[in-house]
Amino acid sequence: MPWKVLIVEDSRASRELIAATIEAIDGVRAFCTGSGFEALKLLPRHRFDLIITDINMPDINGLELINFVKKNPNYRDTPLIVITTEGREQDRQKGLALGAAEYLIKPFEPEQIAELTRRYLRIA
Amino acid sequence: MPRFEELLEDFFYRPEEDVGALFDAGGIIEAPAAAAVEESPEEYLAFRLADETYAVRIGVVREIVKVPPLTEVPRSSAELLGVINLRGEVLPVYDLKLRLRLSTVPAPIAGPDANLAALPKSARILIVHDPEGDAGVLVDAVLEVVKLRPSTLEAPPRAVSGGDRSPITGIGRRREQLFILLDLAQALP
Amino acid sequence: MSTPSKGLSEFVAEATEILDTLAQDLLTLDERRGEDVDPDLLNGIFRAAHSLKGLAGMFGQDRVAQLAHRSEDLLDRLRLGKVELGPAALDGLIATIDVFQALLAESARGEASPEVTQRSQALADHLLRLAEGAPRAPEDPLAGIGLDPGVRAVLTEYEEHRLRENLKKGLSLWKVRAAFDLSDFDQRLQEVNAKLKPLGEVISTLPSAEPGAGTGIAFDLLFGTRRSEDELRAAVAAMPVALQRIAQAAPPSTASAPPPQGEAAAAPARPERRKRKRGTSRATGTPPIPERSGPAEPALEAAEPTLPAVDEESAALAPVTPLPTRTPPVTPKPELDASLRSLTQTVRVDIRRLDALMNAVGELLLTRANLQRLAETARMGGVHAISKLWAQELHRETRQLERKLDELQKGILDVRMVPLGQVFDKLARLVRRIARSAGKEIDFVITGGEVELDKLIVEELSDPLMHIIRNAIDHGVEPPEVRVQNGKPRRATIALRALQQGNHVVIEIQDDGPGIDLARVREVAIARGLITAVQADEMSVRELQNLIFLPGFSTARSVSQLSGRGVGLDVVKTNIANLSGIIDLHSTPGQGTLLSITLPLTLAIIRALVVSVSGRTYAVPLNSVLEILSVESSEIRTIERREVVTLRGQTLPFVRLCRLFGLPEVPLKRHYVVVVGLAQERLGIAVDELVGQQDIVTKPLGGRLQHVRGISGATDLGNRRTVLVLDVGALVEEVLAPERRADFI
Repeated sequence: MPWKVLIVEDSRASRELIAATIEAIDGVRAFCTGSGFEALKLLPRHRFDLIITDINMPDINGLELINFVKKNPNYRDTPLIVITTEGREQDRQKGLALGAAEYLIKPFEPEQIAELTRRYLRIA
Repeated sequence: MPRFEELLEDFFYRPEEDVGALFDAGGIIEAPAAAAVEESPEEYLAFRLADETYAVRIGVVREIVKVPPLTEVPRSSAELLGVINLRGEVLPVYDLKLRLRLSTVPAPIAGPDANLAALPKSARILIVHDPEGDAGVLVDAVLEVVKLRPSTLEAPPRAVSGGDRSPITGIGRRREQLFILLDLAQALP
Repeated sequence: MSTPSKGLSEFVAEATEILDTLAQDLLTLDERRGEDVDPDLLNGIFRAAHSLKGLAGMFGQDRVAQLAHRSEDLLDRLRLGKVELGPAALDGLIATIDVFQALLAESARGEASPEVTQRSQALADHLLRLAEGAPRAPEDPLAGIGLDPGVRAVLTEYEEHRLRENLKKGLSLWKVRAAFDLSDFDQRLQEVNAKLKPLGEVISTLPSAEPGAGTGIAFDLLFGTRRSEDELRAAVAAMPVALQRIAQAAPPSTASAPPPQGEAAAAPARPERRKRKRGTSRATGTPPIPERSGPAEPALEAAEPTLPAVDEESAALAPVTPLPTRTPPVTPKPELDASLRSLTQTVRVDIRRLDALMNAVGELLLTRANLQRLAETARMGGVHAISKLWAQELHRETRQLERKLDELQKGILDVRMVPLGQVFDKLARLVRRIARSAGKEIDFVITGGEVELDKLIVEELSDPLMHIIRNAIDHGVEPPEVRVQNGKPRRATIALRALQQGNHVVIEIQDDGPGIDLARVREVAIARGLITAVQADEMSVRELQNLIFLPGFSTARSVSQLSGRGVGLDVVKTNIANLSGIIDLHSTPGQGTLLSITLPLTLAIIRALVVSVSGRTYAVPLNSVLEILSVESSEIRTIERREVVTLRGQTLPFVRLCRLFGLPEVPLKRHYVVVVGLAQERLGIAVDELVGQQDIVTKPLGGRLQHVRGISGATDLGNRRTVLVLDVGALVEEVLAPERRADFI
């Protein structure tokens, strides 16, 4: 069974870059979506091992997604990495307060996300 | 009850006819009473399997089609009756009765030995939405659209549900009538 | 190293699209000068700039990325209310459109002129200064209302800002709770939104964290409106929603309600300005900003209420903060790429639309086949008495239809073709990173990125290719020190090539590493019980090499970070087989390994042989059929419990499809044997009857049936009869290598 990672990020370019980066880690399969709604639909269908989410999205925002995941007994153990934009200190703190395990500030180096992915999937 | 039947008739897919828009209209039955704002009843499609009445959320049903001869898929499980080509889309059709242990032999509707006449005249295939891929399920008859209030639903009796992956999610009741509520995502293999 | 032009044209196409949206929205904003700004509109513009930045960054288009970055920063501050959206900011943003267009035009030509660079730089600096305009006084009306802290915790800074704005204007705030089924909640929410939007602003859509009953999900919409409770209730009467008031509409507080005086005072000047901007800047394509020296603009922004009513010129004399005046005056280059013609000739089409067209062509092909039959019958005198002349005419017209249909089919297939460079470029970006973490020094050489394949195939190829290349980096090439010791160049080379051969495309991945260690492969395969020592002794070099494609095989002595947990080449092989492709391997000790993948150009329309077995009908793709034999039962012999027939002195493995598929067997004296071949492998497949040949459109079984063994899809033969299409590659594999698979399924 591959590790399943959900990537929620509305910019196609970043989404693909993140997906390519973490799929370069063997055994990792990325599920991408640009919409929070779509993410809500995917959650009950897969057991994700990690969720990486942006804050700003067109339908529901990333904080709401974190809250949803962390309050729900079915998903609350899934580690969550939140991606925030430079200078959005407030959003970042809220994300961590809601239970995100880690945050990344855009723009970030692909290595950083690969590093975090390995850490939270416990890949040596 | 003739009204329900009329409305249901509109659901049925006839070749050369697109019914995709039917579900979008949303007006399958009259609007809820004004008092029901706090708890709106949910709509289920009731159907018959063997002698039991089952129901699924109407939202999962994409369309209802008459039973055509299916194409067998070699070396597949017995529950997979075959595939149906629905306007260019190839979809699997499953035998719910096998899954629910209401029967031990698959319905004879695929391959050269298919005998559609052995099915009740009312038999239909429900095409349902599913994230793993849409699919068809064979039912003995489509009965009606029922509205059930979430608070009136009962948990399935232990003996019925059997295990935590049971597709039976509860029992709906309308006066004397029982509806066994199915989660098709669980019921499909 | 790569095919920049392909990637670049993709960039230009997508950037142009974003820019079109950006421009349209900015112009809408411009037309509504002086009105209340629609927050969604502003937010949309922000998002467009954001996407443009990301896209440009991904393609290394630094000039576009930098300008987009500045625009995004400014827009961000505007939408958060940190900087006020005044005429200067709007003009600055509108000026970016022309500059972006000029930049993209140069990108498309592969140029970067100093003039445009300078112009873009000047504008970027200008935007930066606009964004740094004095912040508005902070105040927090949110504190006073009964907003659940849990709700507040999930609002983004932007949403909080919108909430404040609504409160400041004295609007009522409502929590609208809506519960839906998980299967279609997005549509239903849209319906609710459509009802609410005309009455006010939906500030946030919060999914309720309480697990709903069964497959349900509830949302809380934060909604700000001026309308009365009755109006609101009436609007959503038919919807499954519950309303709760969070904040009461109140008369606007004196502190915040009146617009800043500066803005009010500046208002009369606007119509004139707008006219000027429209009349000159737009029409001539001259950027409005650089004309009026940059530093003046932020002054208007920064000058808060104290500034008296002034026209722009006097505003320019009163900068609040001293600003450097070294902004280079940008030479207005007349008609500089100001053409309204779009830069790209490309149309982006959803692949599903093409699939739909393809389906239509498939149906037409069926009709054509029927028509041909009719025409033929008529021509041969047939059963009906019809005039010879008429029959000839029918025949002629049918031929004509046939030709046109062929063109149509070819045209649609053509449209679906995309260059492999799309995948290759992505791989190139990854190689460097992977190589670095593996401690390898690698030159990655790409050729043939312009070779085209069906879009579907290209999409499906990226994963297997990534896997293969990762393997090549990880196991295929030696670390630099070892290479030097072995007298090889320090840097290893991995080549990725594509070339078209007739109806196929061959993709090769070659490394100059040590090659495959056959002794080691043999050892591992035996140790893992994949083969016995006896079997190994009988195997050819090629067969031994191909053992690495077996499930569970991995020669890596240590589990490295890259190849992880041994998800092996077997997965790659399966993926390629799903595309009707063949994968093959050649390795020379000490010199390297060559892996080649042969793929059909398209999966969409193929010619098929229609056969029948035990009353069932199947289609066999003709491109893998070598010949058809008729074989007497007595000619079938058995070697090691496997059936074979002799073909021109050679032994041909033979399988009865009915037995393979577990169908009831019809006793026959004579079998038709369809001889299929893939690479060097040959297999005879016995069937009961040959029905004919036909063009078919294979539809994938998709969804839940992706992994049915030996079947690649389904097709319609007319008369609404659906038949399955055999996956020849999988059948060959299954029959010829049963011992390889037996334990792993």
